[in-house]
Amino acid sequence: MKPSEIKSLILGSLDEKTDPETASRKLEEEGVSYDFSMGFSKRVTDRIFSVPEAVVNEIEFVKSMRFIFNRVALTGIAAIILLLVSLFLTEGSLTLNSFLGMGNTYDEGIVYLLTGN
Amino acid sequence: MKGSYRQAEDSELVSASIAGDKLAFGEIVDRYRKMVARTVKGMLGDSVFAEDIGQEVFIKLYHSLSEFRGEAKLSTYIQKIAINLTLNEIKRRKRFFSMFSQKGNNEMYEYEIADFESEGKKDAAELVNKALMGLEPKFRIIVAMRMLQGYSTKETAEILELPLGTVLSRLSRAQEQLKKILKNL
Repeated sequence: MKPSEIKSLILGSLDEKTDPETASRKLEEEGVSYDFSMGFSKRVTDRIFSVPEAVVNEIEFVKSMRFIFNRVALTGIAAIILLLVSLFLTEGSLTLNSFLGMGNTYDEGIVYLLTGN
Repeated sequence: MKGSYRQAEDSELVSASIAGDKLAFGEIVDRYRKMVARTVKGMLGDSVFAEDIGQEVFIKLYHSLSEFRGEAKLSTYIQKIAINLTLNEIKRRKRFFSMFSQKGNNEMYEYEIADFESEGKKDAAELVNKALMGLEPKFRIIVAMRMLQGYSTKETAEILELPLGTVLSRLSRAQEQLKKILKNL
């Protein structure tokens, strides 16, 4: 088809009397067709359905941190309980003095320890 | 239903896609990709941006499928998303160009036509593209709907949510603009 004929077809397609479907089909036959590049559908579904690698890495990191935190927290709690038990057994109470290692020390004893008199 | 969805109804594909079925949504994309391409590329020209907007159309569709009540055809619903995103892109570009140019809108379109004129071969697709790109966006969308999608004036009015009279007057003005544009091509 000559350019002048294509121009007439373009203008004619907008005419109210022309059937738009026929006009658009004619243009398509002349090579006026539109589509996206190969693999378009796959790219779209991949963007929607696959979780990005960065997000996967972030999730893995959070999981590891939680696991480590649980381990450390449990060990810490066990250590604190052991410390309290040993304090109670050695000092006989769980007062501030016993925490500071002064459970059985009298004031005079401290003065003696500090001054030597 | 897993497997092939070639024969499935749109409503079936929508339900399966909402349930997270990748194959079902892939079938929707395959079924309507050309229709979206006609709108997006017809409005923006054949570029990488058009491909990106095409992807955005389907991503937006997927995220809004649960809001689709089936009162309108799925094709109409997709078409509206495509038109909205394309018009947003045109507005974005217009803002971008206006930052660097003191020219008015009409001058900008004239510039676009002149730019196309310097290119070589004049086949049908190229002629249509040049003609469309020379039109103002509000006329371009009407022409693209009719010329590329084959929609009637009434269907165009429904999809664009415009009064029939407005579509008719824009069509007539678009025809006048096209005559001028095509004369120079």
